[in-house]
Amino acid sequence: MASVEPAASDAGEWDAAARARYLSEVMADIDAEVRRRRASGDLPAGLERELDEMFLEFSPVGLHGRARLRETLALVDGSAYVDVAVPVASNKAVGSLVKRTIRKSMGWYIGFIVHQIVKFAWAVSRMFHVVVDRVELLEAAVETERTPELPPSAVPVTDPGTAWWSSEAVAALTGVRGRVLHAECGDGALLDALVAAGVDAYGVDPSEAAIEPAVDRGLDVRAESLLDHLAVVADEALSGVVLSGSVQWLHPNQRDRLVGLITERLALDGVLVLHSATPESWTATTAHLISDLAPGRPLHAGTWAHLLSEQGFGPATVRDGGHDTTLGRVDPAVPEAAVINAAIDAVNSRLLGPDEYLLVAVRER
Amino acid sequence: MNALHQFVPALLPRDATGDHTLALRDTLRGAGWESDIYVEAAHDELQGEATSFEEYPARARAGDVLLYQMGTASPVAEFLLGRPETLVLDYHNITPGSFYEGWEDHTAETVTRARRQVAALAPRASLGIADSSFNAAELSRLGCRATAVVPILVALDPDGPEVDPDVRRRLAADHGEATVLLFVGRLSPNKSQHRLVEALWLFRRWYDPGARLHLVGPAVTPTYVAAVFSLAEELGLSGAVRHGEDLSPGELAAWYADADVFVCLSEHEGFCIPLLEAMQAGLPVVAYGAGAVSETVGDAGLVIPSARPSVVAAAVDRVRTDSALARHLVGAGHRRLEAFSMVRTRDRFIEVLTPLAGHRGVT
Repeated sequence: MASVEPAASDAGEWDAAARARYLSEVMADIDAEVRRRRASGDLPAGLERELDEMFLEFSPVGLHGRARLRETLALVDGSAYVDVAVPVASNKAVGSLVKRTIRKSMGWYIGFIVHQIVKFAWAVSRMFHVVVDRVELLEAAVETERTPELPPSAVPVTDPGTAWWSSEAVAALTGVRGRVLHAECGDGALLDALVAAGVDAYGVDPSEAAIEPAVDRGLDVRAESLLDHLAVVADEALSGVVLSGSVQWLHPNQRDRLVGLITERLALDGVLVLHSATPESWTATTAHLISDLAPGRPLHAGTWAHLLSEQGFGPATVRDGGHDTTLGRVDPAVPEAAVINAAIDAVNSRLLGPDEYLLVAVRER
Repeated sequence: MNALHQFVPALLPRDATGDHTLALRDTLRGAGWESDIYVEAAHDELQGEATSFEEYPARARAGDVLLYQMGTASPVAEFLLGRPETLVLDYHNITPGSFYEGWEDHTAETVTRARRQVAALAPRASLGIADSSFNAAELSRLGCRATAVVPILVALDPDGPEVDPDVRRRLAADHGEATVLLFVGRLSPNKSQHRLVEALWLFRRWYDPGARLHLVGPAVTPTYVAAVFSLAEELGLSGAVRHGEDLSPGELAAWYADADVFVCLSEHEGFCIPLLEAMQAGLPVVAYGAGAVSETVGDAGLVIPSARPSVVAAAVDRVRTDSALARHLVGAGHRRLEAFSMVRTRDRFIEVLTPLAGHRGVT
């Protein structure tokens, strides 16, 4: 053992580096001691593994599974066999004779019982095999129906604080008493406007990076998905909810869940404000990566109004806005003007027009 | 007046979380805050100290800050998720369910549920207080946007509790001059008491054939406890491994005083108060550096990089035979305790909580 004893009797006088160096030297000595023991044969290779394996003999079946289903099942199969050949070895000669006699005389009885136990164990094992087969099939089926996730960079950063609908949303919520939630609040621009108007507003957004500026400004924002958040908020705890961002292209099942949760979490007379792109503009103008991989599509304002009325919301007010892509009609004096304008009207009504809308509805029952 | 109310699943006497909760309440009240304790259940001895969490909504006031002492799965967590007040988490860690799988599946399920509750609460909390950087990092990974490391409020009187002389005498008579390794903590898979048994076997083979292992703590996982003692029996250590539980402070002090080395081989620890108790008792510490152990020990113990029996045995022998090293570790231990003193920790709590008093979440 190397001499590493401290030079000073009072180790408290040492600085942190000296203490760390001292302990490091001690550890090096310990390591050398273990190597020496190994080299001398005191620590045979595999001894420590054997100790661990010995402990595993006393561990429950399937412990290492942290084990997978199949491995655990194999352990069950291996334990399902019961040996009727009781050991008869003994330190005393007469002991062995007695044991052998008992085994022989009781053999028919033990054998009968064991036969039934083994039969039962194999039936149980068989049942587990069937269950595991089914589980694996289900897992495979679920995997094939998995919705691909959009890369975070594909989701456009919105700035609802300066958007055309910001003032409309603030007006709809001003005077509301109680907490107002903004879903997908991003950098908190709309929250700023709401708070400035005296609204007790907070926000959630699944992107931690997106809310950083809001956190820095001391706003009450949380990195959380809207559905996860609403799932745990108490019933009727909210007085207003603003929906914006990717909630407009939720999977239909998630959208239905969202409508149900909002209805439960909003107090009576609570206000829902929803900003969305129109389906037409979304298809025409959204990056292909988003429109192809998105689990759902935006709804028309009338469809939202219908869904909400079925949940007890009053008549929705809808305001169109955003970029108006409506084509102007040609001068009637132009040759074939009637035909051209009819075509323009058809295109306008089906594909063009204001590309966004803001819907406001109040929960009445 | 600032108001911070604590919520805790169970308020128990002589329990680390219970003592911490009461001490924090007294600290806050001492600093002029309004502070009460709300619980799912309270021990009979502490009924007067707490109120049912279900009564809180009727008492809620604008500007309240709610602090949750995370310990186990509880409806209190679900309740707090639904509350709009500013939320603070005080996190002492929860053992991952994987440690209990196979041993006690219902416990694995319970702790997994508790960890899911932490994951749900973390992004909602305005502040996560953790008693170690290890725990703080876990909170951050779960989405807690601000964390602070503040040790648990634990009374560590340098003189320690008075040793029960009868217990001390009985223990000494049992093992004579043999080396005694001690570990204090509940007997459960994450504490790896089976590795201590393996290390004892090798230590006896190499250094001291009469050495003993004393395990103190509640036997909370019976299947694991049975396996540990079966291993001891298989290795011929039946009489060399002794278990103590339900000890009074004086009795526990006697077990500490009787031991030669405190050895911790836990695979998962969020803080580990017994390490500090060992330092308080003047015991040199040998500990496997998993979880928050290295952080709690600092340079006041021999932190080993592996829990292999050979390394543990060699480390224990070095501490046992190198009196200068043992003296160094004991001295460093006493200095280390200063970092966890009640006065210092109380001040730190007030320091991190004060900014939240102005962060009003309710109208």
